[in-house]
Amino acid sequence: MIMEKESGFQTYLSFQLNTEVFAINVAMVLNILEMKHITRVPKAPDYIKGVINLRGTVLPVLDMRIRFGLPEMVNTVDTSIIVLSLDFNGEEFRIGILVDAVKEVLELKSAEITPSPTIGSKYNSDFIEGMWRQNDSFIMILDILKVLTSDENIDFCDMVEE
Amino acid sequence: MDNFKRKFVEEAHDLLNELEVVLLKIESDSENKETIEHIFRIMHTLKGNSAMFGFNLIDQYTHQLETIYDLIRNGKMIITSDLMDLTLASVDHIRNLLDEDAGSKIEITTTHSILLKKISQIIEGKNLPAAGIKLDSSPEVEELKTYYVHFKPNPEILSNGTNPLYLVEDFKALGEYLPLPCMELLPALDELDPEKCFTSWEIILVTSEDIDKINEIFIFAEDSCTLDIQELGAGNLLADQSFCSRLKESVSLNKTIGIQKIQEIIVSRDSTKEKGDTLKPQNINDVSNKLKNISSIRVSSEKLDELINLVSELVTTQAGLSLIAEKINEKELLAVAEDIEKLSRRLRDNTFGIRLIPVENMITRFQRLVRELSHELKKDIAFIAEGTDIEMDKTMIEGLIDPIMHIIRNSIDHGIEEAGVRKKLGKEKQGKIIFKAYYSGSNVFIKISDDGAGIDVNLIRQHAIKKGLIQQDAALNGKEILDLIFLPGFTTSENITKISGRGVGMDVVKRKISDLRGEVSVETKINSGTTITIKLPLTLSIIDGLLVEIDKAFFVIPLSSVNKCFEFKHETLVNAVNNLIFINDGHIPFIYLRKEFEITSPVPEIEQIVVIEYGDSKIGLTVDKVIGEYQAVLKSLGNTFRKQDIISGATILGDGTVALVVDPNKIISQFTYKNLTNINN
Repeated sequence: MIMEKESGFQTYLSFQLNTEVFAINVAMVLNILEMKHITRVPKAPDYIKGVINLRGTVLPVLDMRIRFGLPEMVNTVDTSIIVLSLDFNGEEFRIGILVDAVKEVLELKSAEITPSPTIGSKYNSDFIEGMWRQNDSFIMILDILKVLTSDENIDFCDMVEE
Repeated sequence: MDNFKRKFVEEAHDLLNELEVVLLKIESDSENKETIEHIFRIMHTLKGNSAMFGFNLIDQYTHQLETIYDLIRNGKMIITSDLMDLTLASVDHIRNLLDEDAGSKIEITTTHSILLKKISQIIEGKNLPAAGIKLDSSPEVEELKTYYVHFKPNPEILSNGTNPLYLVEDFKALGEYLPLPCMELLPALDELDPEKCFTSWEIILVTSEDIDKINEIFIFAEDSCTLDIQELGAGNLLADQSFCSRLKESVSLNKTIGIQKIQEIIVSRDSTKEKGDTLKPQNINDVSNKLKNISSIRVSSEKLDELINLVSELVTTQAGLSLIAEKINEKELLAVAEDIEKLSRRLRDNTFGIRLIPVENMITRFQRLVRELSHELKKDIAFIAEGTDIEMDKTMIEGLIDPIMHIIRNSIDHGIEEAGVRKKLGKEKQGKIIFKAYYSGSNVFIKISDDGAGIDVNLIRQHAIKKGLIQQDAALNGKEILDLIFLPGFTTSENITKISGRGVGMDVVKRKISDLRGEVSVETKINSGTTITIKLPLTLSIIDGLLVEIDKAFFVIPLSSVNKCFEFKHETLVNAVNNLIFINDGHIPFIYLRKEFEITSPVPEIEQIVVIEYGDSKIGLTVDKVIGEYQAVLKSLGNTFRKQDIISGATILGDGTVALVVDPNKIISQFTYKNLTNINN
């Protein structure tokens, strides 16, 4: 990891939501699961899909499409759950995110990542760490912690206190 | 904070807890020498460790404290109640000092100097005991004896923070001594590990003290050295010229002289002097290689949690295996599956047992509370704990401390009367608070009773009416009225004291205990006291539940709150008036869970109702299907679902899917109108 930083490269995992491609830093990715049965939790917000059994522990799964206000789509063979291990104030927090398809692992040069435009962006620009141009399209690099902490239903501050 | 420091802090907290226990013990038995020795030992360890890890304030502080207890140990001072107060305050203070940036906090540094001043006042002799109590010192007629001490530190002694040279120097206090260092084990310079000790000492000591005093020097180094103490004979051998000169001839840095050689010298000296009686050394004490039995191992709770997770996973996987084995119905496979089931069950029980600690661990806190509060309120109260060996889950014990502290505080403040009042009522002068823990069935009970004033039921009723908690004409029986004290904002105390009575009280106690899946109840009798009973499940991690299905999703309802199950046609439920259903010649309100859970999929023709015991009333919950009893290993849902408090956790079924564990009480309180219970009445 340090080596990569020194050489200016960072590794990202890209995934598809609807028609857009997003990427997250691979350091946060624990593993990738095929779509499996998700147990719905009554009275939970709609984008919290429910919970799955991840090798004996119960893992909450978020539907990123709903989180980003995209239309809900039917699950396909490509639908995957990316299991993230996030570090929040020194506490590990695991969560799964439901995406349409996992694309590829990218080695990106930090210098090539441009900041996201604040105007005219479809998504809350706070969520986007930067953009990377691939041929004609853009990949949006997500600040996943911001995506999660901006939601009052997942109260990280409280979690750390408890 | 680095790893070692953290370990030290952890250990120091343990030591302080231990110290607290011992201090409270000595208060009732101040003559017990062993206990004083124990206190001294703990302080000494604390001092040594804190110096090593750079906690200078603690080092400085415990040094002073140690001095006091050294005086006590030697019978030059007695333990007074003031001294106890000071020492206990010191324990709290040292706890604060363990916080790394304690030195920069003003309150702490002020307390530090105040306490230090008090200590030095005590040391200066303001609290010296009456002359008579002073222990008889050894008789004035000194009988000198000569000892041979072979002190051979283990190479690792330095890493314990012990300086062997200081130990050698300590002999000075005992009398005349001649240390003879020996370095035969010293390796060549390039192989020398500077952090190890290779030197041993042979010491010839002339003293009037007995052998115990010599042993005492090494009291804290016993485990890190080999010690051989022999009596060479009466009289002062070091004053004997011929002995000294012969000894000097034998001295060589590279070789121990050895007891035999010294004895030879003595014998030859004796024979030259033509003294008949040869001094035979007696092997008085050999503490070499004294190994302590390891009775417990310190394991971090994360490791335990991980182990428990793995075992839970195993139990789940095993349930899957049993399922498959039954399906295939192969005789051999069935046998193996059955064996694995038995094994994993035992493994599970054992593993969960590791997390259990005796109730004993929280008792000290209560003892101190009683001690301090009763002093403050000038009441004479004894605290009696029974069944302290009952074991409970560590997290459960931690969660119980606050509520029980509160209950005891109430007992001391409101329960137990002042001595004058007690006398008038013909009670013993000393009030009693009894803590009792015991098992019953699959539950642990904790009873806290006092022999105080009891709770006046009428007073509670009046208060509740005044506060608008109940109607003027509400028909409540004694028990129901008593339960009112668990309502938020309820207090009968006219004057709010520092200790209790601000109205945040029993409701919090009740909430905290129900968080642990426990129940509280009160019994009281005017003028003879109050008993509060807490009923708790044995473990937090496994519950007996009823597995039910709603819209292809599985839910577990804790069996402890399930009363009965009934079958109904869907249309009966839809047409039910006022959500009441007629069961066993009574009307029972029910909650239609499909509606509450916002499930819109097609409804089965026949649905079932699980009747839940909710307080004294019964309420039904509708489900699609009752599957059966299920032993659920509870898993936390994490904070993502913090707001969905109707779900208390999750469990993993044999086929790997997740079932949610519901909290029926929360469901009922969330989905019913408040007057629903009234309809039932």
